[in-house]
Amino acid sequence: MITASLFNSFSMPAFLADPSAGHGEASQHLAQLAEHAAQHPNAGPKWVLLIVLLPVLGFVLNAFYAAFGNKSKIPAWTTIALLATAFIATLSMFLSYEGTPYTVQAFEWFNLHYGDKSFVANFSFYIDKLTILWMLFVTGLATLIALYASEYMSHDIGLGYCRFFAAFCLFVFSMACLVMGDNMLMLYLGWEGVGLCSYLLIGYFYKKPSAVAAAKKAFIVNRIGDLGLALGVYLTFVHFGTVQYSELFANETLHTYINAAATGDFSHIPAQAQWIALLLMVGAFGKSAQFPLYVWLPDAMEGPTPVSALIHAATMVTAGVYLIARFYPIFLVSEHALPIVAWIGTITALLAATIGMAQFDIKRIMAYSTVSQLGYMFAALGLLSTTGAAFHVLTHAFFKALLFLACGAVMHGFAGQLDLRKLSGVAWMKGWGIVGVTMLVGCMNLAGLPYITSGFYSKDMILAEAFITPGYRMIGWILVFTAILTAYYTFRVYFRVFVGPQHAEPGDEHDDHDDHAHGEEQNHDAGPHGDHHSDHFHPHAPGWAINTVLVILACASMLSISLAYIQKAEHHGWVGSMVAESSASYHSPYAAEAHYAHVEHTDMHPVAGPVGTAAPGKVFGMDAHAGMILVSGLGAIFGVLVAAYFHGPKGWQGLFIGGRTESDKCRMDAIARRAGPLPRLAENKWFVDEIYAAILVTPLRIISHIFHWIDKLLLDGLVNLFGFLPRVFAWVIRPSQSGVLQGYAVSMAGGLAVLLFVVLVIVMNSGGAA
Amino acid sequence: MNHLVQAIDSVQLAQLAFPSEMPATVLAPYLFVSAAMFAIGLIGFLTRKNMIIMFLCTELMFQAAGLALIAFGRHHLQADGQTFVIFVLCVAAAEAAMALALVVLLFRHRESLSASAWKELNG
Amino acid sequence: MEQIISPIALYLICGLGAIGVAFALPRRGHSGSKIPLHIVGGLVLAMAFGFAALVLGLKATDGGNPLPNYFFYPFAAIGIGASVRMITHKRPVYSALYFILTIIASCGMYLLLSAEFMAFALVIIYAGAILITYLFVIMLATQAPVGDDDEDLNDVDAVAREPVLASAIGFVLVALITVSMFRGIGDLPHSQLSSAQASDGVLAVLPKKIDKVLDRAGLLEEGWFVSRDSETGHAIIDVDARTIQIELVDGEDTQGLPIVLASRTLGPDQWPEELSAQNLDRLGYNLLNDHPMMIEVAGIILLMAMLGATVLARKHIELEEALKAAQARKLGTMFDTDESNSVRSQA
Repeated sequence: MITASLFNSFSMPAFLADPSAGHGEASQHLAQLAEHAAQHPNAGPKWVLLIVLLPVLGFVLNAFYAAFGNKSKIPAWTTIALLATAFIATLSMFLSYEGTPYTVQAFEWFNLHYGDKSFVANFSFYIDKLTILWMLFVTGLATLIALYASEYMSHDIGLGYCRFFAAFCLFVFSMACLVMGDNMLMLYLGWEGVGLCSYLLIGYFYKKPSAVAAAKKAFIVNRIGDLGLALGVYLTFVHFGTVQYSELFANETLHTYINAAATGDFSHIPAQAQWIALLLMVGAFGKSAQFPLYVWLPDAMEGPTPVSALIHAATMVTAGVYLIARFYPIFLVSEHALPIVAWIGTITALLAATIGMAQFDIKRIMAYSTVSQLGYMFAALGLLSTTGAAFHVLTHAFFKALLFLACGAVMHGFAGQLDLRKLSGVAWMKGWGIVGVTMLVGCMNLAGLPYITSGFYSKDMILAEAFITPGYRMIGWILVFTAILTAYYTFRVYFRVFVGPQHAEPGDEHDDHDDHAHGEEQNHDAGPHGDHHSDHFHPHAPGWAINTVLVILACASMLSISLAYIQKAEHHGWVGSMVAESSASYHSPYAAEAHYAHVEHTDMHPVAGPVGTAAPGKVFGMDAHAGMILVSGLGAIFGVLVAAYFHGPKGWQGLFIGGRTESDKCRMDAIARRAGPLPRLAENKWFVDEIYAAILVTPLRIISHIFHWIDKLLLDGLVNLFGFLPRVFAWVIRPSQSGVLQGYAVSMAGGLAVLLFVVLVIVMNSGGAA
Repeated sequence: MNHLVQAIDSVQLAQLAFPSEMPATVLAPYLFVSAAMFAIGLIGFLTRKNMIIMFLCTELMFQAAGLALIAFGRHHLQADGQTFVIFVLCVAAAEAAMALALVVLLFRHRESLSASAWKELNG
Repeated sequence: MEQIISPIALYLICGLGAIGVAFALPRRGHSGSKIPLHIVGGLVLAMAFGFAALVLGLKATDGGNPLPNYFFYPFAAIGIGASVRMITHKRPVYSALYFILTIIASCGMYLLLSAEFMAFALVIIYAGAILITYLFVIMLATQAPVGDDDEDLNDVDAVAREPVLASAIGFVLVALITVSMFRGIGDLPHSQLSSAQASDGVLAVLPKKIDKVLDRAGLLEEGWFVSRDSETGHAIIDVDARTIQIELVDGEDTQGLPIVLASRTLGPDQWPEELSAQNLDRLGYNLLNDHPMMIEVAGIILLMAMLGATVLARKHIELEEALKAAQARKLGTMFDTDESNSVRSQA
């Protein structure tokens, strides 16, 4: 119903039709487009393949390094060099892009023809602006994080180092297949590939039981989503007869459906077509950690921090967003898919934020904030704002990678210590200034402090969309509330860990670390000595690689504000222009009044559509954007102030309202004691894992035990019986094997006689002879 | 030679000079003798325990086969039967050499010529 | 065509044969009876053979068909009798000698079948070479019996294993083979060749032989030869019509072809008596022309057998460890006298 109302003043996606064209002309145009696509596949330059090939080369080289027992940082430098080259190739792909999507074929993969049907899925790549947008930050961040990891992983130099970078390269390759593939099979290949790499890298410390369990959990939970994706791909082929993007998006049936959906009439769209979107959605939920499949992502923090930053914050988990954006036309024709996406995203955002508030492990807090922010992106997709989703993906990729890497630096320096109660004033320690500053930048972006942070703009785009879309105001309010929570828990981390009295207890990796020689920047004597629980502990301030990466990412986070302004005249900023020329292109009719009112309101009209009929949403009597700036800006500041009051140290570090004088005592403790079971519930993640265990895992385990016994008694019994019968038979006839030569000769001659007799009888009966 | 003995009750004694065809009734006794010799060789192979005699029995079976081949070749007025017998002779000679070498070897191991001395395959 | 021999008669013959052989096979412990069992077996066998000869002879007589040559019967009797004796004799040497007798009997049958070359080859190769090898091995490998009596013989030679079963199987097999053979023997295709072609057809490929025979018969003047086909080189001869074309040849032209000055045809009346292909001619031509691969295969088999026999019969000399050590020590002392004491000190 709601979606139907959304389509009231539907505007044809820009890539599909000329905006000014009426429906009749549009379908004529589409037919031409389809014909063009079928006859003239737009082949692109072959060097685009480099983006995919270089990571593979890195994988192979690292495997060789591992085989030859390399014990230096060469694997890291190889990886960085190759990934940087891939990034440059992506950049030149972006710069040389001429406005029409093209495909580059590596080799023929599946090319089956049967009857008048065919199944074609080549190993080729489909380049449009959405692809380029994704590949830009995937390769760019991968390069930076590889540089970071070259230092971060240095305690594991040797086999583990090679293994890490091999899996890292494999991940980039898989991600490239996922994003660049020109058909759904390639996407599926990449999808499973990133899942595998995620598994390998979460389980990197495979001697740690918790890491192994987390890897398994991630893999198994992802399987549920992957099943949905696989079925979705299958159903797409069954219904549309193709899995290739160029053919699928030019499919006339699909366009008929879209036109029908635009009028709000879903009754003529077959249920099969509507199910595709629902199944793909399940896949996206699994990979992007949405409720109820989000549980694997926080546990995935068992992996090395660069992995958390790259895979589990910036790139892989946004694959679900990419999936929905890529197949937006298919989602548009499903009556329920987008509302479900919106609500699930909202619920996930809120739920993860509440859990994040009560956690003490800073990496886990970041993980929950990732889940929460992914919820924002899904909400944006569900609210018909692919631009908002893509923009948030981009800004989030930068600042969340930054936050993770800063947390990782802390973890690296303090021997694996991640408990915010045991760390304090890190930013004031010698050598930790850069980490403190960049962390502050990241926190500000995540919290969405108004005007000065990119996170604010991208989040604002989503919030405004929720308020201007009729029927979704509830989502808007929930998201605003979540934004306040986000600001609170983000700065809770900052106020607890990075400012205040200096204090550090080493983590449990302390002993390991002390034996290692760190980079030359390490100054063991100068480092602050915790609170002398451990006489030998010296925190290792991060080296140049980590600092460089942190600085670059902080700059990128801040600079991405400007993305909202570039090309603003045509679209919703630069990201909007990237999205507009892809299959994800769709502009909510309600956005007419909307985005970036504070920038230049009148320029922000959407590309097309009779928007006059839409009633723009009002917030506090103002228009959506102005209202949003007020609400979300004030909300963010309020959240920060709350965090400062409860967790901030005394003095200006706590904005003069904080009262914390010791590392692990703050005003929140008293409140938490009085709040009853709520903090405990939140700390224990609302017992979601336990509920899953009770309602899913335990019954499954019981069933599996039952089947185990059925297998053991019934099936094994049968098998054993079939094994036992020949033994009995053999026992009966074994004496015939006398071992004497002539015994065998007798059998041969006797057998020959019997055979001849049979032949003779047959010949006689058939009257064959005389 | 073909006129050595004349008919008994108008039955002509066959085994005439070569070019004339040999009828089936003349072929049959040869085949019977061949089959009997083969059977005797087979029985010998099955019953005698002495490995040398056993191989001798295989030579007898070769002989029986050779006789059948030559009889058929004569029946068909073709030389292929004899050619095959030449081949059989070669195989027999080779077999004799190999088999006897084996027998000597086996005899050295067990100091017995009995085939029953070797029954490692006994189930 | 109907059957050569009634299956009932054949089964009877085979049954008799089986009983005879079973009785005749060597065994112990019946020496007490008056008539030795193997004599009984021999008699039963003789009955079977006689019965078979009678039935086959009657059958031929009945249809007015020709019988085998008289010489066939003694050869067959000797062959079968000797082969029975071969498998029943308790002393291996006698067995081998009886086998020679079998071979000679079958050579007689080969002669009756106009395969005289094979008959002589058989005597030379089998009786002369293979059987001699057998005799050598028998003498080499047999455990010497203690005395001359049968009771002193080893069980290996003196006792047959499962004579009844083996005889039954053997003669069931023979009954089945012969029944199936004799049922269809009348359907055998007749030779496609005429008698003349069968015997003399091979002459065409032997032009020099024709030249020689004609020359010896005085039918060729100086310079005359049998005409040869320009492509195949075969003689132009019609063995059915008994005509031979001859020609006067004067040297060769540039392409190596004979320059024919004149030619004429010799009629059947001029066909020399001795111009006919020998068995050996036909056999040789058949072997070399139709089955050349067989020669190669036979060569490989014989070579491998030779190598195999050499390797197998080689005697492994196994020195005992102590003996080896003693030998080594002896060698060591030899060197010690010349060299330093280093070897000994290390030891």
